Amino acid sequence: MYADKDPGSLKVVGTPQRRVDVLEKLTGAARYTADLKLPGMLYAKVKRSPHARARIIRIDTSRAAALPGVRSIITGEELPYRVGLYIVDKYVMARGVVRHFGEAVAAVAADSIEIAQRAVDLIEVEYEVLTPVLDPVKAFDRRSPLVHPDLGEYEYVEAVFTPVPGTNIANHTKLRKGNLAKGFREADWIVEREYTNPSVQHVPMETHVAIGQWGPRDQVTLWSSAQSPFTVRNLFCHAFKLPHKNVRVIVPYVGGGFGGKAGIHLEPLVACLSRKAGGRPVRLVATREEEFSLLPCRSALTYRIKTGLRNDGRIVAQKMTMFWDAGAYADYAVNVTRASGYSASGPYEIPNAWIDAYTMYTNKPFGTAYRGFGHVEFSWGIERHMDLCARTIGMDPLEFRKVNALRPGSLTLTGERITVNTGNVTKCMEEVAKAINYGRLTAREKAREKRTGKKIGKAVAALHKAPAMPPFTSTVVILRMNEDGTVTANFSLSEIGQGTYTSVAQVIAERLKFPMEKIRVCLDTDTEHDPYDWQTVASKGLVLTGNAAILAAEDLLRRAYGTAGQILRAHPRDLDHDDEKVFLRHHPDRSVTFREMAVGYAYPDGNGIGGQIVGVGRYIAQGLSNLNKETGQGHPALDWTYGAHGIIVEVDPETGEYNVLKVASAFDVGKAINPECVRGQAVGGMLQGLGTAVCEGYMYDTEGHLLNPSFTDNKVPTAMDLPEEVESIAVETPQIDGPYGARGVGEHPMIAVCGALGNAIQNAVGADLTHMPMRQEDVWRALRKKTSINHFITRCGFGCKR
Amino acid sequence: MIREFSYQAPRKQKELLDILASERENARVLAGGTDLLVNIRLGLQHPRIVVDIKKIREHTAIRFDEKEGLSIGAAVTINEVMENRDVQKHFPALVEAAKVLASHQLRNRATVIGNLCNASPCADMAPPLLCLDARVEIVSDSGRRNLPLEAFFAGVKKTRLTPGEYVERIVVPPRWADAGGGFRKMKRVRGHDIGVLSVCLTKKGPLRRVAVGSAAPTPVLVGEFRGRVSTEEVIRKAMRRINPIDDVRGSAEFRRFLTRRYVAELMKEVR
Amino acid sequence: MKRAEAGEPVEISLRINGEKVTCRVPPHVTLLRFLREYVGLTGTKEGCSAGECGACTVLFNGRAVNSCLVLAVEADGANIRTVEGECRNNRLSRLQELLDKHHAVQCGFCTPGMIMSIRDLLARHPKPTLRQIQEGIEGNFCRCTGYVQIIEAILEYTGQLKKKGELKRVRG
Repeated sequence: MYADKDPGSLKVVGTPQRRVDVLEKLTGAARYTADLKLPGMLYAKVKRSPHARARIIRIDTSRAAALPGVRSIITGEELPYRVGLYIVDKYVMARGVVRHFGEAVAAVAADSIEIAQRAVDLIEVEYEVLTPVLDPVKAFDRRSPLVHPDLGEYEYVEAVFTPVPGTNIANHTKLRKGNLAKGFREADWIVEREYTNPSVQHVPMETHVAIGQWGPRDQVTLWSSAQSPFTVRNLFCHAFKLPHKNVRVIVPYVGGGFGGKAGIHLEPLVACLSRKAGGRPVRLVATREEEFSLLPCRSALTYRIKTGLRNDGRIVAQKMTMFWDAGAYADYAVNVTRASGYSASGPYEIPNAWIDAYTMYTNKPFGTAYRGFGHVEFSWGIERHMDLCARTIGMDPLEFRKVNALRPGSLTLTGERITVNTGNVTKCMEEVAKAINYGRLTAREKAREKRTGKKIGKAVAALHKAPAMPPFTSTVVILRMNEDGTVTANFSLSEIGQGTYTSVAQVIAERLKFPMEKIRVCLDTDTEHDPYDWQTVASKGLVLTGNAAILAAEDLLRRAYGTAGQILRAHPRDLDHDDEKVFLRHHPDRSVTFREMAVGYAYPDGNGIGGQIVGVGRYIAQGLSNLNKETGQGHPALDWTYGAHGIIVEVDPETGEYNVLKVASAFDVGKAINPECVRGQAVGGMLQGLGTAVCEGYMYDTEGHLLNPSFTDNKVPTAMDLPEEVESIAVETPQIDGPYGARGVGEHPMIAVCGALGNAIQNAVGADLTHMPMRQEDVWRALRKKTSINHFITRCGFGCKR
Repeated sequence: MIREFSYQAPRKQKELLDILASERENARVLAGGTDLLVNIRLGLQHPRIVVDIKKIREHTAIRFDEKEGLSIGAAVTINEVMENRDVQKHFPALVEAAKVLASHQLRNRATVIGNLCNASPCADMAPPLLCLDARVEIVSDSGRRNLPLEAFFAGVKKTRLTPGEYVERIVVPPRWADAGGGFRKMKRVRGHDIGVLSVCLTKKGPLRRVAVGSAAPTPVLVGEFRGRVSTEEVIRKAMRRINPIDDVRGSAEFRRFLTRRYVAELMKEVR
Repeated sequence: MKRAEAGEPVEISLRINGEKVTCRVPPHVTLLRFLREYVGLTGTKEGCSAGECGACTVLFNGRAVNSCLVLAVEADGANIRTVEGECRNNRLSRLQELLDKHHAVQCGFCTPGMIMSIRDLLARHPKPTLRQIQEGIEGNFCRCTGYVQIIEAILEYTGQLKKKGELKRVRG
């Protein structure tokens, strides 16, 4: 899709066009799901478990039901429907047992939110509290209680996943490349260490919201803040055994998702409440506190890496063991495990590799997709480990990375051969190294150290990620010409802030040779009116939908030329067009306007030809395959986007307090379709990555209660938390099969920020951290070589609110 | 809010005192609302009636004169204190602490007295007001009394207020006007955050006072030191006075370290 | 105002974006909910209901406040401005235009509150320093943009943008 256009002649692609989705966002007119108020709408509230693991002895809803204005109450007992993306393991609400703190056990729909709340307060639940499974490594023990004793009976995607019934293992992904034992025999050094990180909340500014209306004859309409309307419909229909034509999912503006809204969440609940309330629409708006434990988070990871090295700096063998803490349900965590299991080494070539990646069930809020899809988490371990390895053999860490970086000719962990068109990770590293004056302190930095008494450290970390998606993922773009010759585009990537709708509009404008003003993109998504797309995830939107957009534009032009050829009595091959008209190449004055043909051309006598000019483009990922379950070999990657971050940090060697002075980030995006959109992703993702690195993360007590389920004790970065300087760089190695050479870059800016920061802190003051986030206290403890605070289990004292 | 309550906004203090006297425990005073409304929403407090005290004109007053000192009324917001010229001129420690209390829009509503009445161990305004020897003026329909601020705190989120009483104003005595002052607060991010630990130190002439937040069930006054006193001595006394715990914000050990560190820094800095 | 009983609506009168509004509302209803559900101004968003995230920021007598922590009855007689009052004669304000130009909006959920905080900032500091800008929007979480493009828009608005940040592009 790249080679058919001379990059020098591009007019719209590559320019910083304004976004197509912001007008209503700027004026307050943009309607998000919680802004919708439907006639007769009821308001829902959820009763949630205060325990991590318990048997439900009894639920008494009688007092709640007696409250005037209560229209429906549901408990898990009456909802024998299981949902699940990859393993169908979750009831709509807890049935018989609760598996995590905050899990829904009952729900109410009432005339007002006040009545719903009062009713929820009146529901009595009697529990028998059980000992929870909290540690994902201990969950591995055969003597551990089982979170899902019925694992063997669940449906799951057998071609891809391997649950182990009778254990807490929801999935075991294996990868075997080369000969590990031989590799370790050839090594001069063996370096082994474990790295950990906690669960993290996505924190979209808009919490999850759903409205459901279950009408007569099982006609269901769902309005939702979901990222992936077609997946919601598909999973909903699967759970309730309804034909797809019966269920309509509408997604208006979405206030951020970051993966947390990728699956199906509140939709079945509101639909069931509506069904029981005689079909009245029911709305549920998650509170911020519910966002932390009723809704999913990012999985915690314990990552063991054992690396064999030669004196010349080459990695010859690496054994990687991952324990992903899925929490109570498999959701996306099993696929995070799979995607991490084939890229767990980062963008480095490992000739002999062995990976066992386990998804472990525990009694905690469950993990789902989160920007980076596992890569933020394992990259923390890998990038810290790369520095440890480099130090072990006395090599500069950047040099060590370059020696081992994937390059043309390298084989990835799954056996895919890298080519010159795959992208250039070394260039990304070199660019950020240059931007931070890597390897030395400038005169100003030296003067600053002297003045402040603090130490300055620098580091570079590299990253890669491919879209994690089924090998046959597909999408459609439909273009319709309006009466005046403007064009309306429909496709079903939800615009959740990522900017893809703008970039796709640019691709359409470019291919049609139309100005941007003539392209209208439909921003909301409705499964009833819009064509299929799998999901809005994985940084695959621009590549797949962009390609479909090119095909749709070509299809539209083909139809226009067909009609114009008849009118002008010429072969379509002899035609050309501009943004107004189709004309004869050899007689440009003989032309017909798009406006005349837009909905069918009429001759002076009234005879008509043509009809509305439309264009359809379908695109499906090509040449990808499932991975061999025993060896992990295969072709999973649509494309690889490489990148690197360079960080300068200033650390107080006494207190552990640190300031991030600069972050430079580079990504090989292939082609920056819209440089401002790329920059928005680069900077926004970087700061979200810093949040993960510096301050975010779940903390539990020994009974599995979440201790910080709000912004009071789960801080996210504010404008004050920006590094003093931020630089964003796009490397452009065209992706041959990407639209105008482009690759996705939605998730990548968040990856490897943590590792780069950890390494820079260590380079500054020697604090050696293996757990993130790196709070000031953690750095302080590391400086004193004190064992780090156990972030998973902490006592609850007077300082915290439950 | 989705939990219902009655509301009244008296214009006269007498009216307010009558309501508080008749409603007792069922009434909650609403000033800035930044703690109260959150607590009601979370089900931590269930007032039958919320009494808005902002309509009573005297409550909005912030006054300084050399005889009485600084008087801050019950409805005076953090930003109003920070922007007040007299405060800026005579009580720099208050400005320092106010600057890092929550965010700008929260400071536009939150009141100084609300911050004290919420009685959180991490109340940002407490350490400077302890250092400035502030007194709390408490009123009820049976009369008024005043307490030194250190006697006002009774425990985590507990004060010495009894049902029917409210805090009309606080008064900082004139002898602490123009004292040098400094405030240190450890936050987990550079943006707005609750203090993991805070220390305030004020100094006037030969007198120094030191107070610590988030290191005991209440903010604590370490004490008043006269004349030449070594940093070590102040730290030793501070260590005896505080009693920090481990919680999600930090460990007791780290809080002790920060106390030492901040006291030492402020002993050097505030002259 | 006499005592408003729990759940019983009371009449309040206030100005919203210059227009006088009189409405009956129960005392426990927040200004945020009042604006969204009683007046139909849904531009102001609920992000946390705890005064932490700033999505609900409006101007209350000219000062930025978290409308999730203000009762509607407290706004009786007040002058309220929301994002819906930012356009003039159905045209974007210069601030809105610059936020658009600088790609300072992604998902858009924080934008209405952000605009109101910027208005409060500009009223206090017509030429804010970088630090004042950061402090001025500190109470408004934005999870998408990383704030840089928002800050650039404010700098241009106040005539202080020396050099616009740009994506550096290099060949692979």
